[in-house]
Amino acid sequence: MKATAAPLDATLTVDASRRAAGRTTVGARGRKPLTWKKRSTPWVYMAPAMVVLLLMTVAPTIFIFYSAFRNDKILGGVGKFVGLDNFIEAVTNASVQHAFLITFGFVAVAVILEMILGFALALPLAAQTRANKVGAALMLLPFAVTPAVAAMVFKQLLNPNYGWVGYYLGVFGFPKGIDLLGDPTSAWIVLVILDMWQWTPFIALILMAGLQSLPGEPREAAMVDGATPWQMFRHITFPAMVPFIAIAAVLRTIQAFKTFDSFKILTGGGPGESTEIINLGIFRVGLQSFNVGLACALGVVFLIILSLLIPFMLRIIGRRADPEEM
Amino acid sequence: MKIIQVGLGAWGARGIRKGSEMIRSLERIKRSRVVAGLGAALTVTLLATACTGGSSAPNTAAAKPTELRMLYTTDEANSAAVASLVPQFKEKFGIDLKIDNQPYDALQQKVFSEFASSSSYYDIVVVDTPWAPALVQNLEPLSQYIQNDALNPGTLQSNVGDFIPKVFYDTAVYNADSPIKRYPDPTAKPDVSAIKNAGFDVYGMPIQSNVAVMAYRSDLFNDPTQKANFKAKYGKDLTVPKTWDDYAQVAGFFTQPDKKLYGTTVMAGVGDWATDDFKTLLASYGGDGTLADESGKPAFNTPEGVEALDYYAKLAQSGHVPPGSTSADWGTTAESFGSGLTAMTINYHDLKLADNVKGGTIGYAPVPTGKAAGPHFGTWMLSLNKNSKNKEWAYQAISWLTAAEQQTTMTAKSLHPSRASVFAGIKSDNPLAPFYDTLGKSLAEGVGRARLTNYTEVSHEVAVAVNNAATGASSPSDALKSASDKVSALLKSAGY
Repeated sequence: MKATAAPLDATLTVDASRRAAGRTTVGARGRKPLTWKKRSTPWVYMAPAMVVLLLMTVAPTIFIFYSAFRNDKILGGVGKFVGLDNFIEAVTNASVQHAFLITFGFVAVAVILEMILGFALALPLAAQTRANKVGAALMLLPFAVTPAVAAMVFKQLLNPNYGWVGYYLGVFGFPKGIDLLGDPTSAWIVLVILDMWQWTPFIALILMAGLQSLPGEPREAAMVDGATPWQMFRHITFPAMVPFIAIAAVLRTIQAFKTFDSFKILTGGGPGESTEIINLGIFRVGLQSFNVGLACALGVVFLIILSLLIPFMLRIIGRRADPEEM
Repeated sequence: MKIIQVGLGAWGARGIRKGSEMIRSLERIKRSRVVAGLGAALTVTLLATACTGGSSAPNTAAAKPTELRMLYTTDEANSAAVASLVPQFKEKFGIDLKIDNQPYDALQQKVFSEFASSSSYYDIVVVDTPWAPALVQNLEPLSQYIQNDALNPGTLQSNVGDFIPKVFYDTAVYNADSPIKRYPDPTAKPDVSAIKNAGFDVYGMPIQSNVAVMAYRSDLFNDPTQKANFKAKYGKDLTVPKTWDDYAQVAGFFTQPDKKLYGTTVMAGVGDWATDDFKTLLASYGGDGTLADESGKPAFNTPEGVEALDYYAKLAQSGHVPPGSTSADWGTTAESFGSGLTAMTINYHDLKLADNVKGGTIGYAPVPTGKAAGPHFGTWMLSLNKNSKNKEWAYQAISWLTAAEQQTTMTAKSLHPSRASVFAGIKSDNPLAPFYDTLGKSLAEGVGRARLTNYTEVSHEVAVAVNNAATGASSPSDALKSASDKVSALLKSAGY
């Protein structure tokens, strides 16, 4: 950042010597090479954003890495360097391993289901008719609801004593007063359904935009050649959509790993520890017990796993996106 | 998460209003994105010069500030009651009392980050019992203020002897060098000299005390038909149950699922509420209701513990509690009872019946007992920030707010007093008189929590065990053994 204070007279002398030479420098259209002053201009404009970024994200991130190797107490008392203790605790603890596993399981199931359903919704809604505009707007409603509110409403609907869900399940022959949150399997189903209700529109929106941007010519050519709708989808629409699918899947995966509200409100990790995703644990350890070192170590482990996972995902999907591979 | 321990289910009771607070707190959590937020908060900590405000002798001639700042809860400790005293305070002291209210989770984070950064912004901070062991080094010991006559003129006398002994020792009396220790005689009349001589000090004044009490539908218990039926069925009179065996029997008697009526409630969802239910039972079966002993070892995997959890699991699976009890919390059970779904319940605050419960009336009684009594309790206290610039005035504010006269005023707004004289003086025309009577009796027998810096973690493991036993996922003895092993490891890693 210091570079902005380039010595002014230096540039002047350079300019002066160039003028004395009486010709412009190389360059097809007589462009002069950028002087120090000109080259540093973009940095000046970027500086405020860079400073904010450094303060708000880079510094805390570095601090998390630092804290993960220490046992600092946030309320006075001297912390010291403890090497890998926090990490050993974070990766050897059976509850933590379980929490990581079910977090991945939840993300995989939820994202795959949301992708399929989102695509299924996007296909009919992509055609730009008036009815579709209304449909798309309606579809976006769940996406606009705060996750915490959605979870609270779901909790009321699921109440076995006066909730709608139990009542209508009863109509279809399920036992009366069924407690969906009291059994691990049904609690998971509920959590995944809530997540799908909330986030499928987000995926549908990205894929709709993708579908609307596809060129029409290949489809027309295929129609002339007498392709069936399935063949059109399989060989034209889907391959062209792969980049959009990749973007949607990656964004949604990152988001899904950050899920917190719905679990906290609906199950609190129960029954037993069956829905105790890693974020609930990090929240408890870090922000209720204030065991900062362990919470940071958990965060770092989580980050490492994620940063390995995302490029891997991109490669898997990206390979399909490369026309050479098709 | 003693949240609602108090006033209300922060995750549910009183519905919408509560909900909006909860969303605010969740939004805050989201904004901070947990770990990133920690990092940011701690960066500040790191930069702040770590000056531990020393406590010096109170200066009785300290300049009067124009404003004192206090950090307080929302409904959990009846913030409206405290807020109603602000104009009176201004009139008496000529000082503005500025109160910031935060819902439970956000409050806990704010309290800890204020102390972590040695901030002097808040003079008075509300402290929940589970946080105190970790915070006590940052709180100003009050003994020298209490013993300084100049700071306690006339009616301002703090009169600590008037606090209910068990409440006072459990909430406010600590040995700062070894916060796990408890005052040896928790029934003695509180006396500052005796407390100091035993190596302890006073770190706050209890303001809102919460304890498990039983609420029941007195209209059902007094109904002639019900009485006759009960007599015919069991050969004895229908009375409010005093023992756990009677409690289970009466719960079975009232249960008629076809009429949408169940006997009672359990809070067996995973959370501090389940731990508290279990603590109460454990103590009444003769076990150590604090869950851990003073050497930092878990004390619940015992024959008494198994017996208590076995009773609880049987009750949860008996069909005498509403469906969904194994995912219920403070809010859900208050709602169940309030909507007329159950004949009895055990909760931590006064309850109201919805309008559709025709002719319903509520009675209160101490929770049933086994070999002993030990309803779970926990209290909020007002403490003095060690870094405050106005300690002498802040102390006077604390002692005024928690004095008998002010506590009596606040009972009009449902505050749960902490002084014996206030309970004794509640007039029979007070609509909540029966509730306060029960509350006072229960507080005198209450059992608090172990004083651990990572109590939240311990409570979580116990709650998981209670939930697993209640759903039948594992046997009570297996559940307790597994929780005990995990808690041992937790306590070891916390340095006990």
